[in-house]
Amino acid sequence: MVSGLVAGMVDVVSVISARQLTVQFGEQRALDALDVDVPHGVTGLVGANGAGKTTFMSVVLGLRPATSGEVEVLGFDPRREGAALRCLLGYGPEHHVLPDEMPASDFVKHLAEVRGMPGTEARGRASDALWLVGLGEERFRALGTMSTGQRQRVKLAQAIAADPRLVLLDEPTDGLDPVQRDEMLALIRQISAEYEIDVLLSSHLLEEVERICDNVVALDAGRLVAQGPLESLVGADAGVVVELIEVAERPAAVSQVVESLVRADLEVHRDAVGTRIEVIGPDADLVADAVRDAVVDAGARVGRIVRRRRRLEDLFEGSQT
Amino acid sequence: MSDLSVDGARILDRGYRRFEGQRSGVRGAVRSLVWHTTRSILGLGRPARHKIFPVIVVLVSFMPALVFLGIAALFGDLLDDQIRPEYWEFFGFSFVATLLFASMIAPEAIVRDRRDKMFSLYLSTPLTKPSYLVAKAIAVLGTMSLVVAAPPILWLLGYTFQSLGPDGVGEWLGVMGRIVLTGVAICALYGAVSLAAASLTDRRAFASIAVVFVLLGASIAVNVLIESADASSTIRLFDPLALGLEIAPRMFGDRSVDFDEIPTAQVAAAIVGWISVGIAVIVTRYRKLAAV
Repeated sequence: MVSGLVAGMVDVVSVISARQLTVQFGEQRALDALDVDVPHGVTGLVGANGAGKTTFMSVVLGLRPATSGEVEVLGFDPRREGAALRCLLGYGPEHHVLPDEMPASDFVKHLAEVRGMPGTEARGRASDALWLVGLGEERFRALGTMSTGQRQRVKLAQAIAADPRLVLLDEPTDGLDPVQRDEMLALIRQISAEYEIDVLLSSHLLEEVERICDNVVALDAGRLVAQGPLESLVGADAGVVVELIEVAERPAAVSQVVESLVRADLEVHRDAVGTRIEVIGPDADLVADAVRDAVVDAGARVGRIVRRRRRLEDLFEGSQT
Repeated sequence: MSDLSVDGARILDRGYRRFEGQRSGVRGAVRSLVWHTTRSILGLGRPARHKIFPVIVVLVSFMPALVFLGIAALFGDLLDDQIRPEYWEFFGFSFVATLLFASMIAPEAIVRDRRDKMFSLYLSTPLTKPSYLVAKAIAVLGTMSLVVAAPPILWLLGYTFQSLGPDGVGEWLGVMGRIVLTGVAICALYGAVSLAAASLTDRRAFASIAVVFVLLGASIAVNVLIESADASSTIRLFDPLALGLEIAPRMFGDRSVDFDEIPTAQVAAAIVGWISVGIAVIVTRYRKLAAV
């Protein structure tokens, strides 16, 4: 029985805490000296394929030992206390392969029992979880007859049915159309907000992480690129984006604007077409004033000017330069 | 008509909620997986076509015991001791059913999990690779005992109720104990071999063929060597099928003609050896399997 252990870990500050976590496969470092703190809420684990997301999840689940470093999940050491820890974890795998002939309710109930629920409680909770994910009417259907979207919901239902403290979801929107994806993201958000279940969401789609996550851990080739609250990593920054309109009688106007801004010691990025310019400086108001002066001096015409927003992509671009 | 009105009644919509009770941990996880696997092997809770084969095999294994019990019920003491089979002979009667069952249940128990990727899902629960394999082994051995040990037990109980069983409580318990031990040993031997063969492929049909090939193929090879190459009868220790059949007579103080020259200690060592090899194959295979 693990109820005593549950009582001991409810108030942990970080859901996951890793220090110098390194996992090495032969010559290749899958995780390279990660210092990660995952707080409560929905955390996006982002990175391209091969960035180390799945390896990180398997270490968190206690299924893969770290080559060096330490990791703590809900106050447990996953390697030494893996079985007790996994009673409190839910996991939704990336693959869509499920037992075809098994009804969804039996599948969710069985996994809830394996995660420690008593039989009668497991049946009720399986039903509740399937209703929550929108499959209440479909719960007695065989998994093999379900669409990819429904299977993704079943995977979410089995992950939450045993009332976990932390759910690990590996690419939960993979294979979904835009409408299904929106619904799945809303469900994940609801699970965290209404039932206080922390979620670690692995995804290579940065846009969906920006939409629902409170925190972000960004990995690239096993290294930590950035981590922290989403609002600190994305949002308005000290720059503007200007879209200029080419004027036939002043063909050099756009180039003159760019040269003027560069002379003012501002960072300028011009797109391939040449009329969209990102200008970054120490202060957004100063940048805006400099752009205004440069446009006036060159006699250029402005189509649109907006405050520049940092996006998650910028984290990865920064890490590659 | 009685008054059915209940003031203040309301529909209780519990919905998804937190669980405040105790979780059963690893022991509960193993128990749940054993029960689930047993149901799956026997086709319970699955479409009817999955029940046909196990039901037929179980019926075939019980048939000799039921026939002899019927004869004993009709003719009683008139049944000659020469005709009446020994308790251990029932293990031989269900030999074909045991072989068929062994080829079916081990693939059903473990191959399906790898194909459906349930194995990786199980490892995200309190189960570990060793506890997963222990649960599967218990389910396979428990189910196999239905075909191996249950018919002789039924035979013993039937004879006892007809006052034809062993004399006295002590002798009765001795017979029952030997039947149970024989059943456990046969199930362990065939279970280890069939689970090992099934662990080597991800296709259930191939796994079933592999189980039959190992059990029957080794038996044929050994017999060919003895018949044509005049090999020593000790080579029969490499025949797991015959070795399993030899357990019952040895347990009841007898021995078969084929194994007449082989001491019981060697038979026991060979059985332990086959079980150990089977376990080693399974452990090696699953150690390499990626969890997530």
